[in-house]
Amino acid sequence: MEKLVDILKKLDRRWIFLLIFLSCIIPFWFPTLFKQEFSTSKETQRVYDIIESLNEGDAVFIDWAFNPTLQAELLPMTEQTIKQCFDNKLRVFIYYPDLTAISLGENLVANIIKEEKYSKMEKGVDYIHLGYLPISIDMMIFSMYSDFKSTFGKEGKIFKGIKTFNDIKYMISFAGSAHPEYYLLLQRRFGFRMGAGVTAVTGPDFIPYLQTGQLDGLLFGLKGAAEYENLRLKNLNVSGDQFKKEKKLNQKANAGMASLTLSHLIMFVFIGIGNLIYFYEKKYKKSN
Amino acid sequence: MELINTLIDSTILNHTFQIWMSVLFTLMMLSFLFKDNPLYKLGENTFLGISLGYGWVRSWEIVVVPFLIRPLKDAYLDFQPYDITLILWLIMGSTMFFRFSRTKAWVANYYFAFVFAYVAGYEIPVQVQNLFVQGSNMMKPLFEQPSFFEISKWFVIIFGTFSGLMYFFFSKPHKGLLGKTARVGILILMINFGASFGATVMGRIALFIGRAQVIADNYTASIVLAIIISIFLFIYFKYLQKEPKLDDEQMH
Repeated sequence: MEKLVDILKKLDRRWIFLLIFLSCIIPFWFPTLFKQEFSTSKETQRVYDIIESLNEGDAVFIDWAFNPTLQAELLPMTEQTIKQCFDNKLRVFIYYPDLTAISLGENLVANIIKEEKYSKMEKGVDYIHLGYLPISIDMMIFSMYSDFKSTFGKEGKIFKGIKTFNDIKYMISFAGSAHPEYYLLLQRRFGFRMGAGVTAVTGPDFIPYLQTGQLDGLLFGLKGAAEYENLRLKNLNVSGDQFKKEKKLNQKANAGMASLTLSHLIMFVFIGIGNLIYFYEKKYKKSN
Repeated sequence: MELINTLIDSTILNHTFQIWMSVLFTLMMLSFLFKDNPLYKLGENTFLGISLGYGWVRSWEIVVVPFLIRPLKDAYLDFQPYDITLILWLIMGSTMFFRFSRTKAWVANYYFAFVFAYVAGYEIPVQVQNLFVQGSNMMKPLFEQPSFFEISKWFVIIFGTFSGLMYFFFSKPHKGLLGKTARVGILILMINFGASFGATVMGRIALFIGRAQVIADNYTASIVLAIIISIFLFIYFKYLQKEPKLDDEQMH
């Protein structure tokens, strides 16, 4: 036993890195081996339901406050939100408080529009990339009831009846930082309903806002994105080949869920081993 | 010019080239997990250089030109009284450069003072409002909550906060009731840290999964480049790596 404990204690951490690496990569090669089903959380359901409840032509403001380093978690949920808005014929305003986010956003929307279903979506009519404003300065400008059109220097039919946050029906902020909190401060002034899509790291910070009702819904990390994808697929009312086609296009977060589970299992095992060694040594030292 | 465009189209903008570069840089960065090496350093510095260059060009295009240069040009052609504000902001912003001088650095303080005052003036009232919203939510009639779970949340928040604060109360020795409360407090704090740690691990793994997907989807590139990188690392650590000098050891 002591020999085994000694080997485990001296185990090179690079073996653990390798195991985590393999646990992340293998499910992508053998997806059928790692099929899993999970329930939808209340917070994700609320984001979905609110967007579904909006009327045709209502304005949705998307705050794209993440850069490519966070795209693994936040891009799939942003994609699903934009697609759901397009499905419901809502007007989508995308705003970027991060310089490196702009090309990411433009590429994503361009890819969505390549899909046959959304090919008729027009820039300046159904959606618009508002552009960039320096972070924190943006909140001051928005809070002064500045007109979107003149602030960002954009034109289009989409602005008909939409001037400030007063005219926004739903606002959703995607961020890996505390950026959605700034909108909660704006919310007091304009009264819009608000949801957020955040990374798993920052997620717990937003729970108090859900309890007070300041946030209507929350998409939490990769799991939130996967739940949202499943929810959209389930409610698409398509079957057969069409369903398979949709599933292929809308499973980016789900593809990573098996890797997430397997890597967590490996971590649990090593945490368990570490604890066992700790308690074993404690007992052994005491008895000697 | 045409030659340069063709060259850019067939290299940087070429899809296959982009995929191979993406895999190459991912593997270069991951090679750090084995040991610090020149490939990792190259990847790190390339990333920093590209980020800074990209950020600087985009800032110029998206912020400086539309918000300053273009309006200044317009003001030069057709001056209006409100254009004075533009010149004022230009001067205010330019004072930041005084930071480079040791003796004249104080000039930039006026700009900082203005910005801090403005931000404080904006933030304080709205933050206080936010605190009131959070506080008032805790003051709702307890037994009108829809479920037992909602009621229990109230107890956890109130007693958890109180006992957590008691842990940091050092004016009295942690004995008797105070000691027990502090013990509950540290347990609550540990549960909180555990939950945050769990969420952080999940987030970090999710970020890695993004890169793992790139490697898994492009396995030809991944296998070829992994072999090349492994050979390089073997040669480097076996034959090329110099013994660290005393200065290097001290630096690390």
